[in-house]
Amino acid sequence: MAFAPMGPEASFFEVLDRHRTSLLADLRSAGGEPATRETRLASSSEVLASIENIIQDIITSLARNEAPAFTIDNRSSWENIKFDDSVGLQMVPHCITRKVKSDSPKSIQKFALILKILSMIYKLVQSNTYATKRDIYYTDSQLFGNQTIVDNIISDISCMLKVPRRSLHIISTSKGLIAGNLRYIEEDGTKVNCTGGATAVAVPSNIQGIRNLITDAKFLLIVEKDATFQRLLDDNFCKKMSPCIMVTGKGVPDLNTRLLVKKLWDTFRTPVFTLVDADPYGIEIMCIYKYGSMSMSFEAHNLTVPAIRWLGLLPSDLKRLNIPKDSLIPLTKRDQMKLDSILQRPYVTCQPFWRKEMEIMADSKMKAEIQALTFLSSDYLSRVYLPNKLRFGGWI
Amino acid sequence: LIQTAYSTLLHSSHTEIQSVLPRFSAKLSGIPEDSSCSQLMSAVTPFQMIFEVDEKPRTLMTDCLVIKHFLHKITMVHPKIRFNFSLKVNGILSKEIFGVENEPTLNLWNGIALVVNSQHYVSRPKFGTTESYCSRIHPVLGHPVTLSIPDDMIGVDLSGELTLTPAAALCPTLKDFSNQLNRISSVSQLYIFLYGPLGLPLMSSPEQPITTVFKDTSYFIDWKKYHLHVVPTLDLNLDRDLVLPDMSYQVESSEGAQSQNADTQGHTLLLFLFVDFHSGFPAQQMEVLRVHTLLTTHLGSILAESHSVVQDAIQFTVDQVLEQHHQAAKAHQKLQASLWVAVNSIVSVVTGSTCSSFRAVCLQALQAADTQEFGTKLHKAFQETTQHPFLYHCSCEMKQYLTPEKKDSAQSTEDAYEEGNPAPRAETCWPEENKRLKSGRLHRVVETTHAPHSSRAPRRPEPPTASLSPSGEKAHSKAPAPSRASPGNRLQDALWLQEVSNLSEWLSPSPRP
Repeated sequence: MAFAPMGPEASFFEVLDRHRTSLLADLRSAGGEPATRETRLASSSEVLASIENIIQDIITSLARNEAPAFTIDNRSSWENIKFDDSVGLQMVPHCITRKVKSDSPKSIQKFALILKILSMIYKLVQSNTYATKRDIYYTDSQLFGNQTIVDNIISDISCMLKVPRRSLHIISTSKGLIAGNLRYIEEDGTKVNCTGGATAVAVPSNIQGIRNLITDAKFLLIVEKDATFQRLLDDNFCKKMSPCIMVTGKGVPDLNTRLLVKKLWDTFRTPVFTLVDADPYGIEIMCIYKYGSMSMSFEAHNLTVPAIRWLGLLPSDLKRLNIPKDSLIPLTKRDQMKLDSILQRPYVTCQPFWRKEMEIMADSKMKAEIQALTFLSSDYLSRVYLPNKLRFGGWI
Repeated sequence: LIQTAYSTLLHSSHTEIQSVLPRFSAKLSGIPEDSSCSQLMSAVTPFQMIFEVDEKPRTLMTDCLVIKHFLHKITMVHPKIRFNFSLKVNGILSKEIFGVENEPTLNLWNGIALVVNSQHYVSRPKFGTTESYCSRIHPVLGHPVTLSIPDDMIGVDLSGELTLTPAAALCPTLKDFSNQLNRISSVSQLYIFLYGPLGLPLMSSPEQPITTVFKDTSYFIDWKKYHLHVVPTLDLNLDRDLVLPDMSYQVESSEGAQSQNADTQGHTLLLFLFVDFHSGFPAQQMEVLRVHTLLTTHLGSILAESHSVVQDAIQFTVDQVLEQHHQAAKAHQKLQASLWVAVNSIVSVVTGSTCSSFRAVCLQALQAADTQEFGTKLHKAFQETTQHPFLYHCSCEMKQYLTPEKKDSAQSTEDAYEEGNPAPRAETCWPEENKRLKSGRLHRVVETTHAPHSSRAPRRPEPPTASLSPSGEKAHSKAPAPSRASPGNRLQDALWLQEVSNLSEWLSPSPRP
């Protein structure tokens, strides 16, 4: 490709290419040609009709002198989650539901807030306008109390109506960044080229709307933290490892960043790696990209990329690279609880190497940030660690 | 014990009658032969007292009002007694009956049962929509405390220790808070009722007012913590049907808010103070009147002598009532706000919809002609279907919701009332009491480990027993046997528990989903 800067020799990517071939073979054996299971966006009229049906049910209940209630899939119960290696965490078809009753002191407020947000969604869809979750919260912050309540109700509504959030005309402000060998056209026709070099591009807020994606990337590197991402940009990592793509969700990824990673995987089947801190929260973030989260499991097909591999920082790397103990951090009680919780998750059983790494962490009772590698040299990460890992297949 | 009260009055001399009724000038002229004490043991004991009154209209009127007030006040705690008050002036006979038979009562102790029908305490019409209010008061019974006798009275034989037991209630009890301010400061009046041993009213004389000690209620109650300011009022108009308080106060918000007009809104805090003997009733009936006279004269100094424990007991009781009110108001406010949000959201969708069939179905379902009527009917429908579980404040009309299990467990507490007495009008009201119902006992047992203020009330005597009953049952023996709950009472007790539990749920923060 003309826009591709000079990178390593072709032989550098031999292991990566073999990995990609293997992934494609896995996909084929799992179900023939990998199907892009992008959930169809519900049309505006369908969303309006769904909301009207809900309202009609409530009024019918009241007319019968019965207290209305919402029946919502219980998104916070592992009993409702099944693990499929090819999809990640998904909701079971007939899951346990919970009732948000209008005649219960515990839930009357939530019942009212669901109706409030449903009416707001109704207006947004009708007027073909979009709002962020933050916008919705600020329409009546006193009523909603806090942003988390709004976020949860929106997810509940999305789950209840069985439509993605985008179809509800609720968008999230993207906090993620993307850089490297990628070009695309946004919904409004804006051409975006991420090959800028030292600067990154914000992940678009309408992932479903982007088209004409073009890349020659040999791999996609997800970087947990913005600081590491910026450091890699400064070190010209994308150019040195060209052609490649780097993405960061700046911590726990937002929906758009996850949708973008999923879209890139579905479109190009480019191997995806993660670079996270060697601590339980880094692993948790990696798991969200790979297998999804419990609370968003109803949209797993749109969000998860089970082909993701853990590139670094592995707990075993710390010993292998002789990282001194004073560069490590003792695990806190909270870390240990988080680690135990991850070890009990269903997907860990099919990831024996991950389990081993987590056990190393648990045994050593130590964690490390990616920055611990600067002990070896300031550009060790971009100059030695990542190139070696990518070249020799140091992922699990 | 109630019969003893009759008997005591029967044997009173004019002087003694005057000590009980200080403003009463009439002379006791005779007790008919058939009103002897021998008849007192039967279930129904009529007796008659005849007084000669001064025929001067002003004196006559005052005497009549004083005795009527006295009789009315007695019937509030002795609902089994019925007084036929006849007045013959120049051969013209007028009759008036004082009695509250078959009215709901709350049994306290020693045969004293407080009538809980709110119409005796406040005028109902002034509270607007009567449907919004419970017809009963729901008193909270405080801890009894032993009263110390001032040094200058040490020589006086009181035939045992005296105790003070406060009881308080807000009147009226709201069933529907929708149009209320829902704040503690919505209490706009305070009435204090004083009772002596055997539930005989302690009447103040103009010369030695026993209420002097209550002139400044902050002496016993800390109003500041509720941002309230309480000033005495002279609203002691004898010429009305309500039972008159011994002291009346205007309660105002000290936060700068405008004082509320008690005639249009606001609640009245009723505070009953019962002074009684610690260990039962003195052997000599005449002792009662002597002690009663003593209390009429010296109650102020006795209460002042025991200021600390009296303050604790009264404050605790008032706190309970106001806290309940405050929590109930908060919960209801939350409910109302949520209902409005729900209604407005639905109306917004219905009015904003361009789907005519959807709009038609919605309007038809609630039989509304237009969207405005739809909104009104929708709110009403929501209130009707969702309000029931939140009526924790008033359980009077919810018997049908009790489960058989609750009924059975409640029945295990019954063992004293006579069989066949269904007690349909029984009243329930004490959260602390009802918590103990869970363990199957209704007796009021004040233990230092349970009493929140026990450390500040060191001389707390054994408490009286309290139970719930109708007023129409037969008299008990003189022995102070513990009263028991009837099935009807226990149904409501269990409902109360249920509602308190609902309230707790309502007030606790909802778990995040």
